[in-house]
Amino acid sequence: MATRRVTRTEQLQQTILYPVDWLEERSGLVGGLKYFLFRKVPGDINWFQTLGSATLTAFIVQALTGSILAMYYKPDPNSAYPSIQHITNDVWAGWLVRGMHRWGASVFIILMFMHMGRVFLFGAYKYPRELNWVIGVLLLAMGLAEGFTGYLLPWDQTAYWATVVGINLNGTAPFLGPFIAQFLQGGTYINADTLARFYAIHMLLIPGAIIALIGLHLYLVVRLGVTSPPWSREAAGTGSIIPSRNGGRRGLTRPRPRRSR
Amino acid sequence: MATSERIVERRRVFQQYKEDVKERGKPFYPFAMLHDTIMSLVVVAVITGLAIVWKYSTPGDHHTVEPGWLGKLYDEPADPGTINFVPRPDWYFYFLFYLLRIFKWPPTVVIGTVGLPTVLLLILIAIPFIDIRAERRLSRRPVAIVASILVVISMGVLTYKGAVAKEALGTELVAKVPTWAKKEGFAGNQQAIAGAKLFAVAGCLNCHTYLGEGGTNLGAPDLTAEGAKNKGIAFQIKHLQNPASVNPGSPMPSFAGLGDARLKSLATFLEASKGPK
Repeated sequence: MATRRVTRTEQLQQTILYPVDWLEERSGLVGGLKYFLFRKVPGDINWFQTLGSATLTAFIVQALTGSILAMYYKPDPNSAYPSIQHITNDVWAGWLVRGMHRWGASVFIILMFMHMGRVFLFGAYKYPRELNWVIGVLLLAMGLAEGFTGYLLPWDQTAYWATVVGINLNGTAPFLGPFIAQFLQGGTYINADTLARFYAIHMLLIPGAIIALIGLHLYLVVRLGVTSPPWSREAAGTGSIIPSRNGGRRGLTRPRPRRSR
Repeated sequence: MATSERIVERRRVFQQYKEDVKERGKPFYPFAMLHDTIMSLVVVAVITGLAIVWKYSTPGDHHTVEPGWLGKLYDEPADPGTINFVPRPDWYFYFLFYLLRIFKWPPTVVIGTVGLPTVLLLILIAIPFIDIRAERRLSRRPVAIVASILVVISMGVLTYKGAVAKEALGTELVAKVPTWAKKEGFAGNQQAIAGAKLFAVAGCLNCHTYLGEGGTNLGAPDLTAEGAKNKGIAFQIKHLQNPASVNPGSPMPSFAGLGDARLKSLATFLEASKGPK
């Protein structure tokens, strides 16, 4: 029996791939990543369909800049305002991190609305993607809640009084109102605990929920596939049935449905 | 189309979509991912650019509260005992904030503060369950087109209105106090005049109206003839100290920080305001 000699190249390949194989054998993560990267998407998707990943990018910017801010910010009424000044004026590039977090919030919210508008106009919320639309609406509500809770944290006049009124507005809700207001304030009035509470909600509670929902959102995108634009002649893009198996979809170049071939 | 037929049909169409994509689609990497990456870089660049403009357009040494092109780096520190404040949310809440001007305390304000946002949220969630047709081409979805145009226009207008809404300026209002005193007939009441001056500068008119002055925010009532209700000075003081204790669910903040003496003047002024003579 002649055993084939293992060449140097093969040996090298095996050495390099060993950790990858090790990981794959124990977790299946490599296969998962491969599936994610090489899954097929419709050939005629367009630029509007990058709004979802753009929103995700804006969220990641918020998460990273927020984590850095949390290293310097102090959530109590006496030191919150000075700590913001410290971040802005003394910490190296602190002004940049704070500015990116401040304006990233607006960009994140604009992108969420634009992404939602795209999904609506493309009719991409229709069967079988209804659940993903619902998750998206919840993400929008949580994004706005992040905006509301984050607004108080600089503890300046605008922040303080907008929040006083904001909490009072929540308090007008029938039945639940007073409880919501008390929960947000951590008491009957806005007080020292309110700031810490808003901080915890802003950086732990809601972001945790957002991350979980984004995970679910993406899982459903991968599982159900990306919709092609509604003008596409691809089957799921229209209400009509395309009998042909070939040439059923040529995207932008096919304005009228082809009955048969 | 009967429901069961519709279900069978849409399953078939989705199956067809999956086969189509499998046959003629392109892999996510590198095609779609390239577009996504470019777009993401644009997003990060825009955010960074805004942060840079925010800082470098601010005059002075950045310890000031002078606004730059993109607004102030920070406002004055929070002061619960302040006598002049403007409740203003971040710009993406302007549409809700402005919407509240339409509603009046007490009967309908709950509709604006809680009812409308809740209903909007529920409608959004319900969309895929109301619109169950498979049709996705815009030319055949007139209701969807009209609805989205209306939503965009109304949110745009409300946001714009909220952004340009003028804040009442205490210094301008204080000059009107003698006129108020003459019209309402409390010119001889020194305490009421002191209260009127306080009323002008303490930010009350950011929400309330008085003889045609002030904004109608958050459903705040007109106070021109507040005294005609004869609720009494004690009631007015109690209300100013803790509005929700006498008006359950009132969104008005507490003005206890003004102190007893000033609250007394303010209450006297309110009680003296019996309406223009």
